[in-house]
Amino acid sequence: MREKLAEIKAIEEDAKAQYTHTVNVCTAAGCLSSGAAQVKEALGKEVERSGLERWCQVKGVGCLGLCTAGPLVEVESQSAMYGHVTVEDTPAIVGGLNTKPVERLRVPTGTPFFLRQNRIVLENSGRIDPERIEEYIAAGGYSGLVTALTEMTPAQVIDEVTASGLRGRGGGGYPTGLKWTTVAKAPGPDKYVICNADEGDPGAFMDRSVLESDPHRVIEGMILAGYAVGASQGYVYVRAEYPLAIEHLKKAISQARRMGLLGRSVAETTFGFNIDIRLGAGAFVCGEETALIASIEGKRGQPRPRPPYPAEYGLWGKPTLINNVESFANIPPIIRNGGEWYASLGTEKSKGTKVFALAGAITNTGIIEVPMGTSLQEIVYEIGGGVPGGGRCKAVQTGGPSGGCIPDAYLDNPVDYDSLRSLGSIMGSGGMIVMDDSSCMVDVAKYFMEFCMTESCGKCVPCRVGTVQMYRLLDKISTGRATLEDLALLENLCDMVQNTSLCGLGQTAPNPVVSTLRYFRDEYIAHIEEKRCPAGVCKIHSSVAQTDSPSYAVAEVAQ
Amino acid sequence: MADNVTLTIDGKQVSAAPGMLLVDAAEIANIEIPVFCSHPKLDPVGCCRMCMVEIEGPRGSRLMTACTTPVAEGMVVHTNTPQVAEVQEANLGFILLNHPLDCPICDKGGECPLQDQTMRFGPGISQLVEPKRLKQKNYDISDMIVLDQERCVLCWRCIRYLEEWEDKPQLGLHNRGNETVIDIQDGQPVDAKTSGNIIDICPVGALTNQISRFAYRPWEVERTASVCNHCSVGCNIRVDTRTHTVRRIIGRENMQVNDQWICDKGRFAHAWVNGENRLETPLLRKNGELVPVQWSEALDFIAEKLQAVKQQHGASAIGAIGSAKIGNESNYALQRLFRSVIGTNNIDHRDGADVAGLATGLPSLAGVMKPQYGPNPQVDTIFLFGIDPSEELPILDLHLKRAVKKGGAKLIIAHPRKIELTRYNGPYLAYEPGTEATLLNGLLRAAAGQKEGLNSTAVSHLADVKKWTEEADDRALADLCRTDPAAVKAAAAMLAKSEKALIIYGPQAARGSDGPAIRDGLANLAFLTGHQDRLAFVGLEANSQGARDMGVLPDRLPGHASIGSSDAVKRLEHLWECKLPTAAGQSYKQMLDGGVKALYVMGADPASERPEWAEKLDGLDLLVVQELYLTETAKRADVVLPALGWSETDATFTNLERRVQRAPKAVALPQSRAAADWAILSHLAQKLGAKWHFADAKALEAEIGKAAPIYRGLTWEALGDQGLQWDASALKSKPELKEVRQKMAKGSKEYPLTLVTGTVLFDGGTLFGATEKLDGVTVGPVVGLSPADATKLGLTEGAAVAVSSPEGSLSLTVHISEQVQPGSAWIPESLPGAPVGALLNGSVVQRVKVEKAA
Ligand SMILES: Cc1cc2nc3c(=O)[nH]c(=O)nc-3n(C[C@H](O)[C@H](O)[C@H](O)COP(=O)(O)O)c2cc1C
Ligand code: SF4
Ligand code: SF4
Ligand code: SF4
Ligand code: SF4
Ligand code: FES
Ligand code: FES
Repeated sequence: MREKLAEIKAIEEDAKAQYTHTVNVCTAAGCLSSGAAQVKEALGKEVERSGLERWCQVKGVGCLGLCTAGPLVEVESQSAMYGHVTVEDTPAIVGGLNTKPVERLRVPTGTPFFLRQNRIVLENSGRIDPERIEEYIAAGGYSGLVTALTEMTPAQVIDEVTASGLRGRGGGGYPTGLKWTTVAKAPGPDKYVICNADEGDPGAFMDRSVLESDPHRVIEGMILAGYAVGASQGYVYVRAEYPLAIEHLKKAISQARRMGLLGRSVAETTFGFNIDIRLGAGAFVCGEETALIASIEGKRGQPRPRPPYPAEYGLWGKPTLINNVESFANIPPIIRNGGEWYASLGTEKSKGTKVFALAGAITNTGIIEVPMGTSLQEIVYEIGGGVPGGGRCKAVQTGGPSGGCIPDAYLDNPVDYDSLRSLGSIMGSGGMIVMDDSSCMVDVAKYFMEFCMTESCGKCVPCRVGTVQMYRLLDKISTGRATLEDLALLENLCDMVQNTSLCGLGQTAPNPVVSTLRYFRDEYIAHIEEKRCPAGVCKIHSSVAQTDSPSYAVAEVAQ
Repeated sequence: MADNVTLTIDGKQVSAAPGMLLVDAAEIANIEIPVFCSHPKLDPVGCCRMCMVEIEGPRGSRLMTACTTPVAEGMVVHTNTPQVAEVQEANLGFILLNHPLDCPICDKGGECPLQDQTMRFGPGISQLVEPKRLKQKNYDISDMIVLDQERCVLCWRCIRYLEEWEDKPQLGLHNRGNETVIDIQDGQPVDAKTSGNIIDICPVGALTNQISRFAYRPWEVERTASVCNHCSVGCNIRVDTRTHTVRRIIGRENMQVNDQWICDKGRFAHAWVNGENRLETPLLRKNGELVPVQWSEALDFIAEKLQAVKQQHGASAIGAIGSAKIGNESNYALQRLFRSVIGTNNIDHRDGADVAGLATGLPSLAGVMKPQYGPNPQVDTIFLFGIDPSEELPILDLHLKRAVKKGGAKLIIAHPRKIELTRYNGPYLAYEPGTEATLLNGLLRAAAGQKEGLNSTAVSHLADVKKWTEEADDRALADLCRTDPAAVKAAAAMLAKSEKALIIYGPQAARGSDGPAIRDGLANLAFLTGHQDRLAFVGLEANSQGARDMGVLPDRLPGHASIGSSDAVKRLEHLWECKLPTAAGQSYKQMLDGGVKALYVMGADPASERPEWAEKLDGLDLLVVQELYLTETAKRADVVLPALGWSETDATFTNLERRVQRAPKAVALPQSRAAADWAILSHLAQKLGAKWHFADAKALEAEIGKAAPIYRGLTWEALGDQGLQWDASALKSKPELKEVRQKMAKGSKEYPLTLVTGTVLFDGGTLFGATEKLDGVTVGPVVGLSPADATKLGLTEGAAVAVSSPEGSLSLTVHISEQVQPGSAWIPESLPGAPVGALLNGSVVQRVKVEKAA
């Protein structure tokens, strides 16, 4: 197998060397929505029209990160990146290939956005054509798998993962090596590996981006996991609202199968592994592992109490390893380069890098990957380019509906699991929403509470009833009808729902309220006592009417 | 078993089995933890969050749900901290927030856990003043159960019961979040045969009993521990009565019998007890009319008439029919009267001597049970032959499903219909009625071919076995029996491989002249595959076993002694102070076919079984009928005696596992002059010159213990409210292999279909039919046809047809069913207005044709 991979790599490199120019067009969802497909087609035609097809290839690639400037086009030979490209721009770009890059379209690449990132999960994003397994292989893909299968025992694979210090990227941050060990140790011949690609946090789109841009690394990560824990069947549970990710994933699975990297004998060894896709219907709670498992089993997607954890009693009652997309995507480089290498990145308790989706009041909305421990300051003001128009960043929301708002004054804190927690927020899956002075914190809390209320599965009492009560109280506050007793009751409810709910959704639903109360209590008080919304978002004068114009940040998130 | 773990709950040391949940461990220590969703018979779901307790841990104490957390060594638990109290109170507040609190008009009022817990743990008044959620109230989820979604606290108990026990997920959650409601699926009513159990386990008044709605208030009723009278499972129940009427029936726990479940027939069909048309006074035929008379006149008449017939035609011209629906005492009294006072063995009951039964019933019901944390089934394979527990013995059906689903037991099914239990994908052996013995020979032949798992004694006769069963080859199986030979092989292999298989057959499988051959065929198979100790015949009626035990059989004395057994004869002649008749008596069928001149019928209605029998009854010199209702048979009687039924008089019943159980008097009929069957018989005995002095049922039980050694010591007191099984070991006989043959009925061009009949749960029988509210679920006068035959005959669902045999004809409507095998026509017994007996006329195997009604 190793020879086969080397051969493919050689052929790919040969083929690429035939071309003087490679024009990469981002065809991931962000850019597609702003017309990337048409741009790519036009570029192809233009190349043909200019008779350059022997020298220039036009290639669809995954997300380049700076989605806000999409459609993005990159000319590798000229080290030129173009943003907001239209069909009309294509003759100029092709025309410039043998002369000079088109300056008016250029997006500067010497900026912190590109320089400060450390791309491991995203190493191939925007570089390879996600629909071709050959390009993944040429980029070193599947070599880790072959090494593991031929030279390492399953225990050694787990050792590397443990040594890497990788923690789950799905939100909980549970040590991945530990989880793998538990599943590996669980008795029984039938075990499963599940990749959680349900990504339901509003404002998060990292997993989608990885699946669209580099699906093979997730597959490779899953096969490695299967080998390590002793499973022969994997499932990717992906939300149905991600058609492109699903399409790329399907294609990748069948390519891997044809290549002999999936199937009864993986890479010509006695180890067999298959992957099937299961589509989620879009309920946020289906991302919770036990609900996800119920959903795969064809039951109503609702969580059940843990223990038993899926590692002991999971899909169809069998030991099941469930990891997030990004967690799996980190595995191939860890196996290729060793756990120690990975552990050298990041902080003491949070190793490696983390992918974030930047959204809200920030110049460079898009996908970034930074080493753990990078400060929020650096992410927002340098990599993210700050608030558009040079405004003040009022707070950064991390962790979506389970997370909290970190105010401006604390932005110098490093981003890692523990410090975010100590600030009253969580890492979450990597959504990061930047808010400026036009955001009202009561409104933000209310927005997330409404989200939890509608997404509550209704199984347990505190979340089913409590989220509605908390939402109604927040609504009362935001419309100026509340008293200080209401506020006290709200805090009481937060405590109750946090402590008694069955699953993470309910347990964390109060977080946005708790954290905004912690840092922005005065805003609540202003609504209650002065009947005033400091940000001017909440409509207080008409005391009965509900707010109908959410703030800038919230509207952004809701997309 | 692993060692117990020790933990501390509220400072008390508790020792608990590993894996036990904290709620259960707390109960051991007498510490109450409030619960709504947790139920000892259901898997934990942890959704109501009422049971939160504090558990000490390395990082401080944590709130956890006691109903989902298993005990662990050294665990320290607190159930009464301020934090726990606060959480309980807040949680109740949440629950009450959407609860209508219509206690005064709620059937649960007075026995409602929500009411109770609000008193004990709840908030004074709720701080949360938001509007309540409005949902559907009083919404039928079936003809028997009403759902009030506003009262529902979404505890999932009903959902879990239907999933975990019934394996029929007929209720589910709909919508999400605060809009979540319980509802039926796709508009289909809940039709699981034991659906009513969800009423018992619902912690609030969200599920209520249609039949008993508003008929009782829990604090007003009198409660009597009893057993159900509708089938031979003998489920333990509680009868709630008030002012002499049965208000409702609920399940009562007996871990040897029914766990705590009962079926819908047992729960809902009780209107017959207080039926309007009950007989209340003796009736004597005068000038062709039945007219009310005094007891003495009626009994004098009977005594005189019996003596006259005996004088003229001899004792053998007199016969008595007992009843498997009636308790042991009365059946015992009946056979004693006719044996010792009249001097005849002409004593039998329906499905008595005409069915080739076995004396000892099921080894034990608990052997097939898989309760929540109780024992696993003690058998690994269950072979059902000609019995359909789903329709005939619903709680056995429930146990079997759970044994398969959760206990890993395997099922083999031989039945002319592809019955519901075939859904568990064990081998299904379809067969043509009339070819049972051939099928059994085929099975024996396949078993003889097994390399391992055969009984070592039986194996020495393998050559013989192979010779007798030569003809039952694959072709015979396929062509004659219409059984799949591959399924036969699979079944034989499973039986041989099984460590402990249970083989159960019912009356349908062994009725008529072929019965003994079929019984012997089953015994051969059981012996060869090593399961001879677990071959069981089960009758279907509440006291099928007891009627046999009491000797209501023409060839058996009480305790299953043969009429020729000198020991037994000596014992009984001494006890009864008489000389016993020596000749074998006539069976039920023989008596009704015209073998007697005088017939005494206690609780049976042969006239409605067969038109021909009705005619013959008209021609008798004397017909006495002791009954609850004026049945077809009673209408033809010379004397009709009003009897007290189940629940109106103390009685014991023996269920299908030989468990003798009490059904005490729970109601009185103030205006009625009806008397207990055994009391009527005692008076008659006295009129006939015998010295009978039975003061009450207990006196009879005492005598039964003397007459039948297997009943020794089974007194009313000893039975208690859980009953006692009689010991079958004395009745074990040495197994042997017997050659069996069955004459094949010839096919006929004119009558192309084979008639298949049997019992359905919701039939139109006298007892079930009395509960009018259940009319909607009663099976109508239908003939079931396979889709293939229906197509061939050009018939659609609901078509009116005439079904005829050489014996008679019936008007029915077509019901197309996948369960019915091609080549057969299925007509249940006891359908209202359509006695299938008209087609059978005494035969067991009959061929019919189905034609469009003119
Ligand atoms: C309400 C809720 C939603 C969740 N949604 C996701 C999700 O969309 N994707 C995900 O990977 N994990 C999600 N999780 C976390 C998963 O339950 C689980 O912890 C995770 O998939 C484990 O993978 P990891 O160890 O690789 O992080 C969610 C948890 C909760 C409580
Ligand atoms: S916390 Fe909310 S989402 Fe989770 S189980 Fe309870 S009701 Fe469902
Ligand atoms: S369920 Fe209980 S609390 Fe609710 S109305 Fe009925 S009796 Fe009252
Ligand atoms: S109907 Fe009763 S048993 Fe069913 S979920 Fe509601 S409260 Fe529970
Ligand atoms: S299974 Fe039989 S005994 Fe039990 S409740 Fe139903 S009818 Fe009565
Ligand atoms: S989608 Fe094109 S750069 Fe992200
Ligand atoms: S009783 Fe434990 S959660 Fe309901």
